[in-house]
Amino acid sequence: MTKAITKEALTGLVAELTAAGVRVIAPAKAADGGTDYRAIFTLADAILGGEMPRRSLRAVFQPPTEAVFGWERKGTGIELTPAAAASQPQVVLGARPCDAAGVNVLDKVMGWDYKDDMWFARREATTIISLACAEMAPTCFCDKIGLSADATVGADVLLRPAGEGYTAEALTAKGEAFVSGHARWFSDEPVTADPAPPSREAFPLDKIEEWLEGHFEDALWADLGLRCLGCGACTSICPTCHCFDIVDETDGTAAGTRRRNWDTCQTGLFTVHTSGHNPRADQASRCRQRILHKFEIYPKRFEAVLCTGCGRCVQACPAGVIVPEILDSIAQRANGGAA
Amino acid sequence: MTIAEAVDETPDTRTFRLTFQDPAVAETFAFEAGQFGEYSAFGAGESTFCIASPSTRRGYVECTFKKAGKVTTALSDLNAGDTIGFRGPYGNNFPLDKMEGANLVFVAGGIGLAPVRSVIWTVLDEREKYGDVTIVYGARSVSDLVYKRELEEWAGRADVKLWQTVDPGGETPDWKGEIGFVPTIVEKAAPSADNAFAILCGPPIMIKFTLPVLQKLGFQDSRVYTTLENRMKCGIGKCGRCNIGPVYVCKDGPVFSAEEIARLPQEF
Amino acid sequence: MKELQELSRSLLADGQVNVVIGWEQGPTGARPVFVTKPEDADRLIFDQRCVHNLAAYLSPRRPNVGKLGKAAIVAKPCDAKAVAGLIRESQIKREDVVVIGVRCGGVLADPASKEALSAETVSERCPGCESREPTLADHVLGDMPPPPPGERRRDARIDELEAMPPAERWAFWQAEFERCVRCNACRQVCPLCTCDRCVTEKTQPLWIESSAHSRGVFAWQLTRAQHHAGRCADCGECDRVCPVDIPLGLLNREVARIVERRFGFEMTDDPAAAEPIGAFRMEDEQEFIR
Repeated sequence: MTKAITKEALTGLVAELTAAGVRVIAPAKAADGGTDYRAIFTLADAILGGEMPRRSLRAVFQPPTEAVFGWERKGTGIELTPAAAASQPQVVLGARPCDAAGVNVLDKVMGWDYKDDMWFARREATTIISLACAEMAPTCFCDKIGLSADATVGADVLLRPAGEGYTAEALTAKGEAFVSGHARWFSDEPVTADPAPPSREAFPLDKIEEWLEGHFEDALWADLGLRCLGCGACTSICPTCHCFDIVDETDGTAAGTRRRNWDTCQTGLFTVHTSGHNPRADQASRCRQRILHKFEIYPKRFEAVLCTGCGRCVQACPAGVIVPEILDSIAQRANGGAA
Repeated sequence: MTIAEAVDETPDTRTFRLTFQDPAVAETFAFEAGQFGEYSAFGAGESTFCIASPSTRRGYVECTFKKAGKVTTALSDLNAGDTIGFRGPYGNNFPLDKMEGANLVFVAGGIGLAPVRSVIWTVLDEREKYGDVTIVYGARSVSDLVYKRELEEWAGRADVKLWQTVDPGGETPDWKGEIGFVPTIVEKAAPSADNAFAILCGPPIMIKFTLPVLQKLGFQDSRVYTTLENRMKCGIGKCGRCNIGPVYVCKDGPVFSAEEIARLPQEF
Repeated sequence: MKELQELSRSLLADGQVNVVIGWEQGPTGARPVFVTKPEDADRLIFDQRCVHNLAAYLSPRRPNVGKLGKAAIVAKPCDAKAVAGLIRESQIKREDVVVIGVRCGGVLADPASKEALSAETVSERCPGCESREPTLADHVLGDMPPPPPGERRRDARIDELEAMPPAERWAFWQAEFERCVRCNACRQVCPLCTCDRCVTEKTQPLWIESSAHSRGVFAWQLTRAQHHAGRCADCGECDRVCPVDIPLGLLNREVARIVERRFGFEMTDDPAAAEPIGAFRMEDEQEFIR
């Protein structure tokens, strides 16, 4: 069902949600003036359709550090206190379609085999209202990954800019429940959405996957490994990177917390064995891992690339390692051309 | 889990027998030989080892580990009566159902005997299901041999052929076993490949040199099994570090046939 | 530019070096390049977009670059301070690197920017730069451009911070560090972070928790800043890489100022200078161990 909502009505909706104890997360200015997904209290604090938030939505569902459980020594025994699964209802308003898609991509690995309770507790408590982009930044390549400026995947409701207001399309049962539950802010007036920016031709992702499968050893990796500084900035702002570390931290000697922290495949520490042996001992193999994980390994298991084309890595890389350029060059090779 | 028993195998290697603190779990807990667990020393973290006890024996699990890093050092400091954490069983297992009726050749080096021991006892507990059992086990030195009491027991059994060896220079004056590297002793033992499977585990260098020996003896790669190790954190295919190309050691392994390993990218 | 390409071509063709580490025009802007063949020397550029400090590629922590063989590096005079730091700290030998010094009139903060160099677009470290003529160099190229535009905004900001009551200053850094995810990118890109094993990776004992809570973040950021006391070349790469824009340059400059006041040491491109951290003088004030 598609409805319409004016800016005034959206202001009222946000006020109603926050008054009811729902956390509303939207792109907003941080203390230093940069844009992040942050909790807002009024729509005036949100920057809808502004610049790309620095970090993706990953942090909303899997914070950079989170307690898994607390432990306390009791005699010879240990008492565990599982971390409370966060279940405060929340709404993400104005999510980028690429970021909403990223959450959907991550649902696959988090729900595979063993369901990640911490992830899904937050997922279930959250309604994602994304906003179609009015334009694409030079670094954006969602269209080349097969998404678009108005992609619906991962969103419960999609807003499209329509003149001064928005059209609102409920995409999931959760989205429909949200729209009907807050019906007074939405109108049935037929409104036409502004046209979304056109999509370019997508990368031949199947061909790229096939090429990667057959080119574990290739000069490409050594080349990438030279320029790449292994800083991992790309992995900490990516909507789909999800590698983590598990650490124990103590408070004194008798109690402590086990935590799950974001980690990056771009440093040697990630895979080094206690013996000192490291299966990925050089930067070339770590660059290869990143590209393979995103465009061969993940698609093989989950039938989705581990990338939504948000372009943050293009902006973040201090050394000019550019994923769309790499994909272009692989596509050329896959088509028998020289890159 | 509670450490019911702690045994010093070598100066830096210990075996724990762990019993369940929750009777309901003790009742239902089952695993297959080859699977692994995540063991916690609370405050230090978790470490990944195989389950070293046989799947035929219920009510406890055993693990054997070398004191090397932060967690194994903290685990080493624990003793009988202490509590440790256990998550598991994870990963796949040795396909013992496929091996029924066949002759079995076990090859292990150093602490690599731990997962192999799980299979050996599982087999010996249901001895009638299997054919000949040959074990070749070696370590750097006599003091590095683990499960010494069990080695004596196997040596004394008529239904087991046991070859023990230590690297040259690792022998003691009263050492009765072989002196030489494991692959050499496998060649010397020359077990028949007829209707046989080989199961091996040990340092990468031992595996590397043993595989060609087994091939020469006529073992097909599809009938040779080993376990791979990689750094793991979650054990359940999410934390992203143990993959070898598209294969996740924690989910698709840790047990692989030599045929499967040959198809993997060389990144382990 | 032509001069740079010709020099690099001849260094490679004569076998004097195996690789020239410089900048090229990439798909989105200037970026590092590793030229190993004389015929590829045409790819080399130097202009106001070449903000990257390439010295990090000389570090022994990048053995894959080292394997290419003897390197020539194109270095702005400020980058040469980091090269000198690597030599001073015995990470590389002076004779193992050919330094191609380029005269500099300031660079843009963003290597992908198409804007002209102005007070708004210039890199924070350039205004007021006093080291625009290369001195640690085997070859010096280019004419001296006009000085970088803009005022030393950053120094004014540090003055403000220094003048704040501690509680207010603490609140400022708390707000900034709140965004830190402990990705350690600042460490990875730093040409002078050369430790084989970083203190935050040491677990026995655990000096610094790796979690992104305030304990872990403050312990890490303050340790990082102190480890760079008198060593930081102020190239701003940590500032530039931070994915959440934490103003690490402010912290580094503040520490550098303290070192200047206390030990009279300013970061230099003189490979023979004694760094305060590695030099002992009887007349140094020892009040911290009283």
